[in-house]
Amino acid sequence: VTATAWELAVLPEPVGTPSRPAAQQAEVVVHGPLGDRYRLLRLVAPHVAATCAPGQFVMLTAARDGEHAPVLPRPMAVYRTDRDAGTIEVCYGVVGRGTRRLASFRVGESMLVVGPLGRGFRIDRTWRSVLLVGRGIGTCSLTTVAQELDGSGVAVTTVSSARRPEALIGGSVYRAHGARAVHEVTDIDGTSAPAALHDLLVADLDAEPPAAILTCGSHRLVRLSEQLAQHWPGTDVQVSVEAHMACGLGYCHGCSSGVVGGMAEDPLVCRDGPVFGWRPRADRP
Amino acid sequence: VEELSAVPEGAPPDLSVRLGRLTLANPVMPASGCFGPELAPLLDTAGLGAVVTKTVFSARRAGNPADRLTDTEYGMLNSVGIPSPGTAAFRDTLLPAYRELGAPLVVSIGGLAVEEYWTVADELRDSGAAAFEINVSCPNLEHGGLTIGTSPEMIAKVVAGVRDRVDVPLWVKLTPMLHGIEVVARAARDAGADALTVSNSFPALGVDVAGRRSVLGAGGGGLSGPAVRPLALRLVRDVAAAVEVPVIGCGGVCTATDAAAFLIAGASAVQVGTATFTRPDTMTSIVDGLAALCRELGVARASDLVGTLDQERS
Repeated sequence: VTATAWELAVLPEPVGTPSRPAAQQAEVVVHGPLGDRYRLLRLVAPHVAATCAPGQFVMLTAARDGEHAPVLPRPMAVYRTDRDAGTIEVCYGVVGRGTRRLASFRVGESMLVVGPLGRGFRIDRTWRSVLLVGRGIGTCSLTTVAQELDGSGVAVTTVSSARRPEALIGGSVYRAHGARAVHEVTDIDGTSAPAALHDLLVADLDAEPPAAILTCGSHRLVRLSEQLAQHWPGTDVQVSVEAHMACGLGYCHGCSSGVVGGMAEDPLVCRDGPVFGWRPRADRP
Repeated sequence: VEELSAVPEGAPPDLSVRLGRLTLANPVMPASGCFGPELAPLLDTAGLGAVVTKTVFSARRAGNPADRLTDTEYGMLNSVGIPSPGTAAFRDTLLPAYRELGAPLVVSIGGLAVEEYWTVADELRDSGAAAFEINVSCPNLEHGGLTIGTSPEMIAKVVAGVRDRVDVPLWVKLTPMLHGIEVVARAARDAGADALTVSNSFPALGVDVAGRRSVLGAGGGGLSGPAVRPLALRLVRDVAAAVEVPVIGCGGVCTATDAAAFLIAGASAVQVGTATFTRPDTMTSIVDGLAALCRELGVARASDLVGTLDQERS
């Protein structure tokens, strides 16, 4: 079996009524560094906090009220929600025009938030065990899974991967929400290498393999998840995909996932994802 | 100089505009491709002058390879490539959703060859559209698009063929990339266009220096957003001066003031594209803002602004 025999696949629609997106002017209540590589932004966004499912995302407009650029809002995974306080958190790295502008927002200012958007991870509270594997900022798509499963009885094992220890994120959230194990691995000490991680996770989970592996942030970790799913037959793989977006809703077709479905235009990362299955390729004519 | 209408005390300004035989409640509508029924929860769609669909082709077609769009300074570069479900799926799924939005529906029609435009018109004859907008100007199609859009003869052929097939008002969306936009504007009018949309996005390129390649998967793309507004205003003025059919301005409209600038330059209505990505309710804000702006400018009717650019300085 070769790695190229696996591909992204659209998952069935989540069970239940889909949350409707709303646009809200959200006050910034916390904004500062997270590790040495990312920034954490906490916003008052009660609609998103109340209705966002793990793995869904929001669009943040970096243009201030009265400004018209940057023209495109930035898609951001929801890192943590607090329904009681009506707040959400997102994390981002400052990499370009939009995130530089986002970084300039001060506590007390407001920014436009649209969400929740997309289809999140398909989580089953009857699972005995789940494995979350994230790298870099991709970890932010996974933390709300641990939050959702806190107290459910599902054993949550997590991997946070980063170049350096100072860039690791997510560990404190996972621990706060009762993860049974938090593996923090880095390039510096070699623990993030797929072969090393494979051995670590097999040793940790062979006694009770996870029902699902949920991953985000690295193609190498998708391939690792695939190898682990082959090692543990019956284990499902779901991957959250990143893409450039304009609308976040599906009408602009800016984020066609391309590889899925061959020549057909569907599916879109924003509307049909960002969470897809990662499956052995179905035979197609 | 034509007298402006007197402003009755306290009466709300009349925002309605006439586009030939079609009257819209206000001059604000989306640009094709920058709107869909998915936006219904996020703005007052029934309060728009019209809604405009993404361009529909006869056959289902995929769009261009990723990356399809990116932010640029004061604008956006895109090469989405107009994916379309085809007319059959459009009628089954999208059309009913568009018709629920409560505003007059303008269906944008496309083709890779002259005859496909005619086929789409035939296939959508009973779609209930208040108008068809014929898109002869997409910069991101492998054929058609600019080839048709830069040729007065081909535009005339497309428009005349659609005119023969359907009775609805026809708008023709022009490309900005012309030595003399007046020539194609006249060709479209002579072939039966009821209004002209000026214009589509501007062919453009973004370069990823580290990778020494285009930032978009298809290579080039179209530039839109506030960066192109002065370019579009100039084209609107030129077309409005050259032909008597109504002009619909399109290019970087973000605010009611921008919309008023297009009206003053000669447009009878405006389309809003990129700014809806920035804020989904931009068009609603423009409609509300136009009423306030009319009061401020002392005009009772938004249409009183149309074509009022000071000729001595224009």
